[in-house]
Amino acid sequence: MQQNFSDIKYLCGNEEILSNIVNVPVLSMFSPKMKNFLYALSSQILKDPKSKNYPDVTTYAFWIRKAHIEREQLKFYNIENRLGRGVAFHIAPSNVPVNFAVSMTSALLAGNPCIIRVSNKDFEQVNIICDAINKVFEKMPEMMHYLCIIRYEHSQEITQTLSSMCDIRIIWGGDATIKEVRNASLPPRAIEMTFSDRHSFSIINADEYLKTDFQKTANNFYTDTYWTDQNACSSPRFVVWTGKEIKKAKEIFWKTLEEKVEKEYDLKPISAVNKLNSFCLFAASHKNIELIKHTNKLFRIQIDSLTSDLADFKDSCGFFYEYETQNLEDIVPLLTKPCQTISYLGINPNDIKNIVLKYGTKGADRIVEIGKTMNISFIWDGYNMIEAMTRILFTD
Amino acid sequence: MIDNFHNLEPYSLNKEEKEKLLLEHELELTKFHYNHCELYRNILNAMGGGNLDDIKSLYDLPSIPVRLFKELELKSIKDEEIFKIMTSSGTTGQKVSKIYTDKFTALLQQKVFIRLMSEFIGKKRLPMLIVDSPSVIKDRKQFSARGAGIITLNVLSTKMTYILNDDMSLNENALIEFLEENKGQKFLIFGFTFMLYQYFYKSLLKLNKKYDMSKAYMMQSGGWKKFEENKISKEEFQRRFKDICGIEHFVDHYGMVEQTGCVYADCECGNMHASIYSDIIIRNYKDFSPCKIGQEGIIQVISSLAHSYPGHSLLTEDRGVILGEDDCPCGRKGKYIKVLGRMKNAELRGCSDTYAAKF
Repeated sequence: MQQNFSDIKYLCGNEEILSNIVNVPVLSMFSPKMKNFLYALSSQILKDPKSKNYPDVTTYAFWIRKAHIEREQLKFYNIENRLGRGVAFHIAPSNVPVNFAVSMTSALLAGNPCIIRVSNKDFEQVNIICDAINKVFEKMPEMMHYLCIIRYEHSQEITQTLSSMCDIRIIWGGDATIKEVRNASLPPRAIEMTFSDRHSFSIINADEYLKTDFQKTANNFYTDTYWTDQNACSSPRFVVWTGKEIKKAKEIFWKTLEEKVEKEYDLKPISAVNKLNSFCLFAASHKNIELIKHTNKLFRIQIDSLTSDLADFKDSCGFFYEYETQNLEDIVPLLTKPCQTISYLGINPNDIKNIVLKYGTKGADRIVEIGKTMNISFIWDGYNMIEAMTRILFTD
Repeated sequence: MIDNFHNLEPYSLNKEEKEKLLLEHELELTKFHYNHCELYRNILNAMGGGNLDDIKSLYDLPSIPVRLFKELELKSIKDEEIFKIMTSSGTTGQKVSKIYTDKFTALLQQKVFIRLMSEFIGKKRLPMLIVDSPSVIKDRKQFSARGAGIITLNVLSTKMTYILNDDMSLNENALIEFLEENKGQKFLIFGFTFMLYQYFYKSLLKLNKKYDMSKAYMMQSGGWKKFEENKISKEEFQRRFKDICGIEHFVDHYGMVEQTGCVYADCECGNMHASIYSDIIIRNYKDFSPCKIGQEGIIQVISSLAHSYPGHSLLTEDRGVILGEDDCPCGRKGKYIKVLGRMKNAELRGCSDTYAAKF
């Protein structure tokens, strides 16, 4: 078991800590020790001038500052009867650099020591956060026992060894990664949290939209979509329009967005071909659809029904299916298991919630305003992350 | 209709003459495929390209991405008319293109291929040295990949001699025997670019003896993709072969299984030429508008030979540039181009996985 550890690179921690992590006692939920560590990490990150260049890093640092964590803590009751489950083994995704830290934060607040495998891609954001952690370790050496952040090349052997050591396995990065990692078995009592491929959509009330600041709405929608190449789980791929003045609203909405996209978004040539390909694949088997021509940065496909196969034809980098309706219940076919976030503008979120509850759909985990789909949260993909990583100590 | 093309010299028409002839034929093909291939009809309708009266020039001709042939069964013939299904090369696990041809299309493609190649290597069939191992056409699994490419060339050769062993080492005896047999005569060498370099050039380099292949025409396939990593340009590749065995004639060509027959072969000046049977339009990355001469973009290929499947106008995933039209010093009319390689894959942000393949 020891020998394959030599292929591991340590961003935080070392081989000795990793070998010994199974013997580290768990802590209670929101333990002062963990909280103080996070507060120290927050100020350490903000002290680093490099972090200013990365909004995702500073957002994370603010998210773990004292005021915010204390507020989050108030949302839980019965904290004193909850404590960690054991070692949390995180497999972080390759293309959302700060995600590993969000996952780590939840596990630490739950009271669990962490092994985190980060992607082999060299992200500056990962370096900034890991440097900050190491600096905090200097002041709080006792915290070192709780955390190993590592990299290793594809190795079923190492994944199996670490899986055998863990009590919670958290897999980010999508269906293919989950399938691959699941080849490594877990101990009988271990639990697993998986973050699979998801997709999302938006609902806009045209009349309410026409009352908004168009530029601001475009900025918000841009953040939800183009900012991550419209490739995040939470990025809307379909836009459902309701209300009376749909035609007018659509015209202004897309025109304002397109102006911003033309200025700010860098479309890779291959993405233009990919989008045309996705459109053709959809068009080949669907009638009564229409492609609205803009430049290659924006593809809009008008459709006359919402069907559950729509997500099979989704694409990224500015590729939207659009649908108009006066009956919100038309969205039901979209609420399949992979459906994650429904973002809205000018709609009462309870109306959407009630549809999910009425039909008992297996999809839809999040209903948030347009512009907020990228917000980080302890509640993700239907999990209350901190709580899900604890165990309850029952006393009668 | 296509007979009109056969009666002309393949590189004899100037811009106006060619566009007139080709457009007429392309309109007919578009109409035919629109009426006979439902998937193609649906796509054109959704693109707003269903009205053929709107097509005033080759530039207006709707084109579909070449990748669709990997995903969809695109054909305009009945199942009982299928003569041959051609597949593209692809590594394990990758989807391959499937091209459905009837007898008419298959024969037409072969006829035009011979016609065009003979403009560069002469009209006579020649003995051909294949830089590959004979097992490449025996093993059915590999057959669709490299083997198919080799089989197509059968029509150009009197006899094919394979000069690699199964382990890709050079079969020097076979080489000596071939050169002895064809001493002082013109012959062909064919191989995939990376194999020519890796297993032929490098093996020749190690031998103590130099072989004279100055009468050879080296044809190659597979593009320069792998060579971008090696940092060896086409010119450098050719210079090295000239040094090691005196080869002076190189017929690099651009083509694809989706438009078999319409090859774009290198002339004596090193330019790739479009014949009267086909054309190239370079498309702007930003909006797919046509690029001017000298401007780099995405290659769209137009062929007059795709009769059984809607592959007469395709948007490829290759980058290229038109160097000129009707004025190549070699005297051939039509556009001449340079292929710049495959478009780079984009590494997207977001959570969807790019990492699984590496994990």
